[in-house]
Amino acid sequence: MASPILTIRDGSIGFENDKPLLVDVNLELHPGEIVGVIGRSGIGKSTLLRTIAGLISPISGEITTPTERGDIGYIPQRLGLVNHQTVGYNVMMGALPRAPFWQTLFSLPGFELRQSARNAIEAVGLTDKVLDSITQLSGGQQQRVAIARSMVQQPQLLLADECLGELDSETAKEIIQLLQQLANQSNIAIIIVDHNPVRVATFCDRVLQVKGTRIEEVEL
Amino acid sequence: MKLLQHLKRRPSVLIYTFFAFLAVLISNKLGISIGNLNQAWVNAGVLWSEMFPPDFSVVTERASWTQTECNWEADWACSAAIHGLVETIQIAFLATLFGMLLSLPLSMMAAHNLSPIGLSVVTRNLLAGLRVLPSLVWALIFVIMFGPGPLAGVLAMTLYTVGYLGKLQYEALEGISRYPLEAARAMGLPRWQVARYFALPEASNAILSQILFMFEYNIRHGSVIGIVGAGGIGWYLSNYLGVFSRYDRALALILVIYIAVVIIDQISLSIRHRFMDSETHAPRARWREIIPFISKRE
Repeated sequence: MASPILTIRDGSIGFENDKPLLVDVNLELHPGEIVGVIGRSGIGKSTLLRTIAGLISPISGEITTPTERGDIGYIPQRLGLVNHQTVGYNVMMGALPRAPFWQTLFSLPGFELRQSARNAIEAVGLTDKVLDSITQLSGGQQQRVAIARSMVQQPQLLLADECLGELDSETAKEIIQLLQQLANQSNIAIIIVDHNPVRVATFCDRVLQVKGTRIEEVEL
Repeated sequence: MKLLQHLKRRPSVLIYTFFAFLAVLISNKLGISIGNLNQAWVNAGVLWSEMFPPDFSVVTERASWTQTECNWEADWACSAAIHGLVETIQIAFLATLFGMLLSLPLSMMAAHNLSPIGLSVVTRNLLAGLRVLPSLVWALIFVIMFGPGPLAGVLAMTLYTVGYLGKLQYEALEGISRYPLEAARAMGLPRWQVARYFALPEASNAILSQILFMFEYNIRHGSVIGIVGAGGIGWYLSNYLGVFSRYDRALALILVIYIAVVIIDQISLSIRHRFMDSETHAPRARWREIIPFISKRE
């Protein structure tokens, strides 16, 4: 088996040293693997993802993630799209980490980057919405934009926080297929937080459940 | 006893009484009394008689003592009112443009959610420092440095614009959702790219609206700074009120300024409405919408 993309050893995660949300977190994630995280609201699932993304420091323990720019993709709970811009603009943002400096300085992405954005938009079925503002899209279409941005970014590790949210089952199925495509074709490791244990069990390789302050693996 | 019970039930009466008492006390301390107003009424009567009727020749007659050269053939184009008003708008335009160019990077440096705390505090203090002096005082300083004229006005209003617009902009930047910024940070983007490509477009509606407001504000203030010699219509106003003592012409200028400000306020407000956020369906910020006829043609 290939070496892990993500390793957490004896991680203690939270905001206050004396009140960690999660303790004794041990996790390994390999390329192409999809891991689901479930648990009740406010228990620390999003904090776990934000800690892995490097947005919060762990209280203790060791977290090893890919170190190159653009190696971690993060789709926050509310998708993190730039609302006042177009679909095309948001998808292109995925190219920023790997774009040459002068291209980012003058907002002049090269042909290859533009082509990869076009391909990603086509893959998620939003070709006719390229110039639409994010606020004009439905929830499902916005999820697709966030995934297209990750396709352009090509991270090694993708963290998706409740990206299936309140979607209807049909749309959720389409988004799941896109995530599976990312994992299988681009060998991207994915951690997805969801509140629906049945849905997560259908497409994840492993499911972790947060119970109290501990993370336990669920038998599938 | 009844009064005490009444006051207990309605504490607001006590608060109003307290402030009324405080106002009387402070007025007494400052030597302000009704007696002072008697002389003021006499002076106001004199001023009133000299002001009416307003002399609108300031709009039709060529002014021979303009601060900057006026080469238009038509006399009205070089009149104190029109030449001064155009100059005021020009000063406001340049001050808003330069102020915006300087305040945008400064506001990004001042925003807590985009900058390290040290840089943010230093930049905020710099912006606060620029706001300490009103544009009128900046104008006085620049008139001393560069002599009377529009240059002093542009510099004075640019500095004030940087301080004021910078504050409005960093507050708008701090008000945006944290999610796009977190997505950008997780990608490993440097701070300037997070600010340039995620924060700025997200706050663009508010920022465009603020720039238009600042332009409108600068036009209003442009008529004041001329009083200290920093160009614009205020220069003519101060001369009619001071050296020439032509209050009828001064009143005509005040009416012209009032009409211009009302018109510009309305235009600015209607354009700003296009950029205002609504919670449910925020419109996209498009620069070309600043010029309405272009968007209509589409």
